[in-house]
Amino acid sequence: MENINITLKGRIDSSNAPAIEQEIMAKIEDSSGAPVVIDMTDLEYISSAGLRVLLKVKKSNPDLKITNVSSEVYEILDMTGFTEMMNVEKAYKTVSVEGCEVIGIGANGTVYRIDNDTVVKAYNNADALEDIQHEREVARLALVLGLPTAISYDVVKVGDSYASVFELLNARSFTKLIIAEPDRLDWIAGEFVKLLKQIHSTVVPEGKLPSMKEKALDAAEFMRDYMPQDKYEKLVSLVKAVPESDHMVHGDYHTKNVMLQGDEVLLIDMDTLATGNPIFELAYMYNAFQGYSEYDHEQIMRFQGYDFETGTKFWHKVLSLYLGTDSDEKIREVEDKARILGYIRMIRGSIKRGGLDDTKKKEEIDMWMNELFELLDKTDSLLFTIDEIEVEATVENLKEVQAFIDEHLEKVDCPVKASMQISLAAEEIFVNIANYAYAPDKGNATVRIEVTKEPAVIITFVDQGVPYDPLAKEDPDVSLPADARKIGGLGIFLTKKTMDDVVYEYKDGSNILRMKKII
Amino acid sequence: MTKIAGIDLHMHSTVSDGSDTPEEILAKAKEAGLDLFALTDHDAIEGCKRIRDILTPGDPVFVNGVEFSCRDEDGKYHILGYDYDPESDYIKNVVRRGHEIRMNKARKRADFVVNELGCKIPEEEIERFLSLPNPGKPHLGNLLVKYGYARDKQQAIDEFINKAKTAREYVRPEFAIEGIKKAGGIPVLAHPVYGSGGELIMGDEMDQRLRKLISFGLEGVEAFYSEFSAKMRRQMVDFADRYSLYITAGSDYHGKNKMIALGDNGLSEVDNIFPGNMERFIRRVMHDGY
Repeated sequence: MENINITLKGRIDSSNAPAIEQEIMAKIEDSSGAPVVIDMTDLEYISSAGLRVLLKVKKSNPDLKITNVSSEVYEILDMTGFTEMMNVEKAYKTVSVEGCEVIGIGANGTVYRIDNDTVVKAYNNADALEDIQHEREVARLALVLGLPTAISYDVVKVGDSYASVFELLNARSFTKLIIAEPDRLDWIAGEFVKLLKQIHSTVVPEGKLPSMKEKALDAAEFMRDYMPQDKYEKLVSLVKAVPESDHMVHGDYHTKNVMLQGDEVLLIDMDTLATGNPIFELAYMYNAFQGYSEYDHEQIMRFQGYDFETGTKFWHKVLSLYLGTDSDEKIREVEDKARILGYIRMIRGSIKRGGLDDTKKKEEIDMWMNELFELLDKTDSLLFTIDEIEVEATVENLKEVQAFIDEHLEKVDCPVKASMQISLAAEEIFVNIANYAYAPDKGNATVRIEVTKEPAVIITFVDQGVPYDPLAKEDPDVSLPADARKIGGLGIFLTKKTMDDVVYEYKDGSNILRMKKII
Repeated sequence: MTKIAGIDLHMHSTVSDGSDTPEEILAKAKEAGLDLFALTDHDAIEGCKRIRDILTPGDPVFVNGVEFSCRDEDGKYHILGYDYDPESDYIKNVVRRGHEIRMNKARKRADFVVNELGCKIPEEEIERFLSLPNPGKPHLGNLLVKYGYARDKQQAIDEFINKAKTAREYVRPEFAIEGIKKAGGIPVLAHPVYGSGGELIMGDEMDQRLRKLISFGLEGVEAFYSEFSAKMRRQMVDFADRYSLYITAGSDYHGKNKMIALGDNGLSEVDNIFPGNMERFIRRVMHDGY
C-alpha cells in the first residue's frame, strides 16, 4: 500500500490546527487504511492544539510515522510523551566527508576523521539507520550495565546513507598492541580476559538482547541437509541442552574490538551483543583466532595483521586464563566444545555465500565438516565449568564464591559432610581476606578449585594484600568456656582441623593459601 | 473492577457547544456500554436535569456535572463540578455569574460585528443568537459564514470575532470551587496538562497550579483524558497520589463539533492501571457503594 505523505510547515497552533486537522483527515479518509507519514522538515513549532491533531491521526491510523523532526519540535514531542506513543524520527544533520582522513575501512562501512576530536562511521548500505539505532541502543545498555565502551553521541547523514558520530578515541586496538609489543603478550591476554570475564558476569534485564542459543540452534538446524541424520540429531540435541542464560556475551570478541585508551580497556562494535552461555562466545573466538584460518593460514594475517602462530599462542593463553587452568587436557576439552559451534557457523556462512560451488571453498567446508563429525563422536555436552574466579574481596561477594565452590562440589558428588566442612572453611578464609588483606583499601581475591583423582578437592585462595599467614596464629584454647575465649582464631582452627591439609605461602607479592579435603 | 472502566465524565450537549441533545447523549452512553457518565456543559446545568428526568432503571449511572471556565492573574482553568445538588443556590450562583459574563461578551461581539464591522446580519438572527442558552464564538461565526462574510467558521472567528474587545470579566477559580463544594459537589481540574485547552503545563508549573487550586479546595484532577499521552496520564496519576486527589476520566465529547469519540477516556490503553484515587471517586459518587 502506498504511504499517505503529509508535509507540515511553519507553526501549528490553535489558529490553524482545526484547518490542518480537516485537511489531514480528508486525505486519510480518501485512501482507506494506508500508513500515514508526516514530514516535519519545515515545521518550526507545534502547540498543544497541534499535538491533539497528531493524536487524532494516530487514533485513526495507528501506524502513523513522523519524520525529519527538528530538535526544537522533538523536545516538545519528547516532553509530552508523544515520542513514546508514536514513531518519531529526528531530522539528521548532513555531514560531508569529502577530503577527510580515512581511519579505517570495515565490512559495514568506513570510519572518517572529520575534525580533531570527532570521527564518523559511515555505513555502506542506505538503510543502515536501523542498524545504527540498534548499535546505539545496545551500547547504551552495555554502558548502563557497567561495561566500558564508546558510545556514539549523534547520528548524521552522509550522502544518501547514515553515520554514527564518535568522539575520537586516542586508542590502540589489541591487534595493534600484539603486533607492536609481542613481548607483552601475557599482559595483553590478561587484560583481554579480564574484560571478557566482566562481559560474561554482566546480567542483562530480560528481553533487552537476543538469545545466542536461538542463533546457534538456527545454525544447527541449517545443517540438516548437509549431514548424516544421526550426527545431525546429536548436534541439535547438544545445542538444545545448553541452558538459556541472562548473562551477556559480546558475539564478536576478537582483538580488533578491544581497545586500549590510556590505561583503560574499551569494548567496541556492540551490534552483536546478546545473552547466552559463554560457550557460544568461545565458539566465535575460536573462529576468529583459528577456525577461519585453519585451511589457509594466511587468512588471519589478512584479517588481523598477525600470523597464525601468534594467533594460536594468544588464543591458548586467553583460554587458559579464562578457564583458570594450566591443564592442556582441560583447555583442549573446552576448545573442542567451542569448535563444534564454531564449525557450524562457518560452514553455514560459507554454504550461504555459494562456497559449495568453489573448489577451494568446498575443500575448506569438507575439512571443517570432517573435524565436526569427529568432535560430535566424542562430545556429550557443550557445557564447561570455569575453575577459577576473581572477585572483589568483600563480605558481600562471599555468596558468589560459595556458589562457585558448590557448583564444583555438586559435579563430583561430594559427600554432604565434607561439602559442609569445605564450605565453612572457605567462608573463614575468604572473610579473613575480605576484612584484613587490603583494609582500609579494596582489592581482589582469586579462588581456584581443582578436583584430583585421589579423589580430593583442592581450593586455593590468592590475594595481593599485606603478607599475612593465618596459620601462624596460635590455636585458641577450646577448653575455656565460650565467653572466656579470645575472639578470632577459632575459624582458622576449625579449618585446620577439618581439612586434610592447609598450607600458606607468600610468593611474588601474593598470599596463597591452599586447602585440601579428601572426599 | 475492570468493568467500571466504561466511564466518561466529560461530555457536552447542545445546552453548551456540543451537537447532541442531552437525550441523545443518554442514548449514546447506553449504546457505548458505559457504566458511569456525566454531562458537563460549559457554565450550564439544565442538561443534567433533562437526562435525570428520563433515566430508567438499568441505565448507566448518571452523575450531575458542569464545566466552569475560570481565570485569574496566573492563567485560565477549566473546573469541573460533580455530584452537586442542582437545587442549591450556591451552584446556581456560579452558573448565573458564568452565564452573565458569557452574555455580556456575546452582546459585545454581536455589537462589534454588526455596528463596527458593518456586517449585515438580520436582527432576528442576532436575537436568536443571544437567546441561545450559551451563545459562543462558533454560533456567531456560523452566522458570518451564512451571510457570506467568511469562508468558514474558523476564519470568521480569527478575522472578525476575535478582533472585538470584550471586558475583562471572568469567574475566578476560587469562586467556582467554593460554589461547587457548598452545593455538596466535587471540584476537579479538567484536562490539567492542556490548561484551558491550548497550553502545555507539566512538571513544576503544574505543581504550582495544583498547590494553589488545592488551597482553594480543589479535590480532583482529570488524569485520564482522550487527548493525553501515557506520559501525561502518568504524571497526573502521580500528582493525584502526592496530594491525595480524586482521579476522573473523560473524553470531552462534543458530538460533531469535535472529533472525539464518546467514552474515549484513555483508560483502555494497555499501560494504565486502575488507580485507587479513581476508585475512591467512583465510590463517592455512587453513594450506595458498589
